[in-house]
Amino acid sequence: MVKKCAAKKISKKSINTFNKSILHHVKYTLGKQPEQSTPHDIFFAAASACHDQMIDRLLETEEYYSSKGAKRLYYLSMEFLIGRSLHNNLSNLGLYEVCKEAVASLGQNMDDLLEHEHDPALGNGGLGRLAACFLDSLASLDMPGYGYGILYEYGLFQQTFTNGYQREKPDHWMAHNSPWLVPRLDQSCIVPIYGHVEHGLDFDGGYNPMWLDWQVLIGVPYDFPIVGYGGKTVNYLRLFAAYSSNDFDMDIFNEGDYIRAVQQKIQSETVSKVLYPTDEKLEGKELRLIQEYFLVACSIRDIVRQHKKRYDTMDNFADKVALQLNDTHPALTVAELMRVLVDEEGYDWDHAWQTTRQVCAYTNHTLLPEALERWPVALVERVLPRHMQIIYEINHQFLQEVKEKWPGDASKTAVLSIIEEGAERQVRMANLAIIGSHSVNGVAAVHSELVKTSLVPDFYALWPEKFNNKTNGITQRRWLLQSNPGLAGLINETIGDAWITDLDRLRELEKFAGDPAFQQRFMEIKRANKERLGRLIYDTTRITVSPDSMFDVQAKRMHEYKRQLLNVLHIINDYQALIEDGQEPPVAKTYVFAGKAAPGYYLAKLIIKLINNMGMVINNDPRVKDLIKVVLQPDYKVSVAEKLIPAAELSEQISTAGYEASGTGNMKFALNGALTIGTLDGANIEIAEDVGADNIYIFGLTVDEVHALYAAGHRPWDLYNNNSTIHRILDGLNGDLFCPTEPGLFKPLFDRLLKGGDHFLLLADLESYLVAQNQASIDYQQSPADWACRAILNVARMGKFSSDRTIKQYAEEIWGIERH
Amino acid sequence: MLCNKREENGITILEVAEQRIDAMVAPAFKEYLAQVAGQGSTKILLDLAVVDFMDSSGLGAVVSGLKSMAGGELAICNMQMPVKELFKLTRMDRVFKLYDSVEQGIAEMS
Repeated sequence: MVKKCAAKKISKKSINTFNKSILHHVKYTLGKQPEQSTPHDIFFAAASACHDQMIDRLLETEEYYSSKGAKRLYYLSMEFLIGRSLHNNLSNLGLYEVCKEAVASLGQNMDDLLEHEHDPALGNGGLGRLAACFLDSLASLDMPGYGYGILYEYGLFQQTFTNGYQREKPDHWMAHNSPWLVPRLDQSCIVPIYGHVEHGLDFDGGYNPMWLDWQVLIGVPYDFPIVGYGGKTVNYLRLFAAYSSNDFDMDIFNEGDYIRAVQQKIQSETVSKVLYPTDEKLEGKELRLIQEYFLVACSIRDIVRQHKKRYDTMDNFADKVALQLNDTHPALTVAELMRVLVDEEGYDWDHAWQTTRQVCAYTNHTLLPEALERWPVALVERVLPRHMQIIYEINHQFLQEVKEKWPGDASKTAVLSIIEEGAERQVRMANLAIIGSHSVNGVAAVHSELVKTSLVPDFYALWPEKFNNKTNGITQRRWLLQSNPGLAGLINETIGDAWITDLDRLRELEKFAGDPAFQQRFMEIKRANKERLGRLIYDTTRITVSPDSMFDVQAKRMHEYKRQLLNVLHIINDYQALIEDGQEPPVAKTYVFAGKAAPGYYLAKLIIKLINNMGMVINNDPRVKDLIKVVLQPDYKVSVAEKLIPAAELSEQISTAGYEASGTGNMKFALNGALTIGTLDGANIEIAEDVGADNIYIFGLTVDEVHALYAAGHRPWDLYNNNSTIHRILDGLNGDLFCPTEPGLFKPLFDRLLKGGDHFLLLADLESYLVAQNQASIDYQQSPADWACRAILNVARMGKFSSDRTIKQYAEEIWGIERH
Repeated sequence: MLCNKREENGITILEVAEQRIDAMVAPAFKEYLAQVAGQGSTKILLDLAVVDFMDSSGLGAVVSGLKSMAGGELAICNMQMPVKELFKLTRMDRVFKLYDSVEQGIAEMS
């Protein structure tokens, strides 16, 4: 039945060599005797030993690319949610077992040791994690692709709960004490900001706009090596830290104001201090604009410098370089590259524009209008005076093209212009990115269609050839091989390990889906993963959950469109049915939530408080007899996801149709054998197509039905007044059932659904959601074997959702880079 | 001492002795350039071999130096990469003649 994988033999010599390297780093990197070392020291030394091998291959990779004259891809992103790296790096280098034995000989347990690595939270959620998955795929596919980002001193905040309320604590991830980062002080970049443009003449009498009176930041690059699976290729993620140009502003210092001089230094270095949480209102946040420019300026300076060192000309820049803009955050790349080509390299405008467009490509990640960045013209003018001039010129030339296409149609120029007119004029970053790129892609088929038809239809009419889809993906190396070793081992034993680099090979599991012995082992592994998650939940919340219950998980940022509240309404219904009607749910269920709310997002934080309060009430109600458990796992991050996802049996992907661009959590859960309950939104649609309608629970309005309902007018009060189930649930929410000591606490959520018009259509979808939930519970309870079969089919049919597939498409259709 | 000054082929060569031309030294540097120009030098070659950082006030001082020459010539040579990048970034490379070495500067300006 099973295809045995050849066990890789580990030689004693390789263990001894690794052991020696660890001890070397204990002594010479940490300055300790081995007997003085703590487990954290051993972690650091093991990571350093691993790092040594990565550096060797990093240098070899660079030499190889250079010898081939390879075209390179630079992925510019404000976020890279890389997660812990030791396990991943060892595994990709083929050294995991070697290291495990080596640390065992030093009296350390590998699993415990891995917990000593701080999880760098340099991203908010999907967008940042996607960037990290892409880097893994680029290196594993032996492609010259690099990440460019910011070395935030503080990652996304740590989430704790006090009396059920979210509290935010700084996440000081020890950026400057990471075993992975290599400082490249010799490649520092100068970044001017502020000042003014003086309209002068050059020595030939030509117009020469000079950028004067700026302040300067210094960007220092730190390289985070990225190992591809198999260890052949090591690329890097280059992260820039901001420093002031001098220790103090000597003018101020000389005036005797030491404190002010120090403050100015601190202000300069604030630029890379902290990652802004998503969903915070960023309008007018000068520091965020400077952060975005800092990333762009450092990246372009560095990329141009490298290119010129290799080729001594910029004439072939577009043949050798591709830049991908991850959302609009690095959209200033368009203006910065134009500035460099025109001002510094002396190209004429048309030539520079052609190059810029050939090089840049833009990925759109959101359809939410409030998430499309706009910056006040006055602010951009003040911070980046030369760039504002360039943006005006780009816009001027672009609007000529618009006028030629739609003569006399002022409405088109108003919509398409980079500058939004109004009381406060704004720079539309999405327009700048679209105009300056040769490719604009969405991240799932339905999302890419909505970009064309709803978000920017006039741009699509102008340049249909620019628009394309690249459905997101995830790296199976982290999200199955590393995070679910039990299942990965079973798959290896059964069909071999080719899936690690070719996820389509999982299809071979289909024929085992109905095999009782295989199902049995599959379910044993799921149970072990549930027990592992149960231990984490107990350790962090002191809530005991039973692995006999069905694990229903919703893990993602807290946002109204993601509809954690819909899940909550369903739990209220089950609870009310149990305690008021005596109707037990078909199966005991553990509902696990995880996710952070933006610090300023009041309603999302109130939902967090509600979930925690529900847990307090339901988990402690003896009438419930543990048939329902509610847990909000604190501080969701990559390392938590790695334990949470493999334990899930039902994956909640319940956003309002048309709002989730793609989602990647949906893919991770399905790959780990959870069945999805979800709407036809984002990549859920493609998952449903691939796993089959029998192996997923689809409910709710489609995108078209959502639009139709908006057009007709959604009437939540009618649903409340005419549907007794909905009425009771909402009264439960509005009453003091879950807030006995703080009466009326959750009324704003009730009001949002009724008086506020229920913008995200929770009440419109609630009934079909309840039906789907009930069906999932019945199926799980009635036939565990059938459930296992369907879960295995989910795993087997996830081949499309590997980020390797996504990267191959980007490489071939947008970037023009090759495998080496 | 801000600069070492010498004459060659009718060109005043100013070897800047400061590593950083920033807000701390820029006023004195500006004054010094004006003084040299006032002494009748019509061709000045600024040797920046030791300068590894210049901020906008330093750049401003060099621009003032050019203005104070009233039609004279102020050229720059031996720039380190960060300073050269700064000149290009602000388009000052199109206002000042830049030379790789003192010898090249003298040959071109003579």
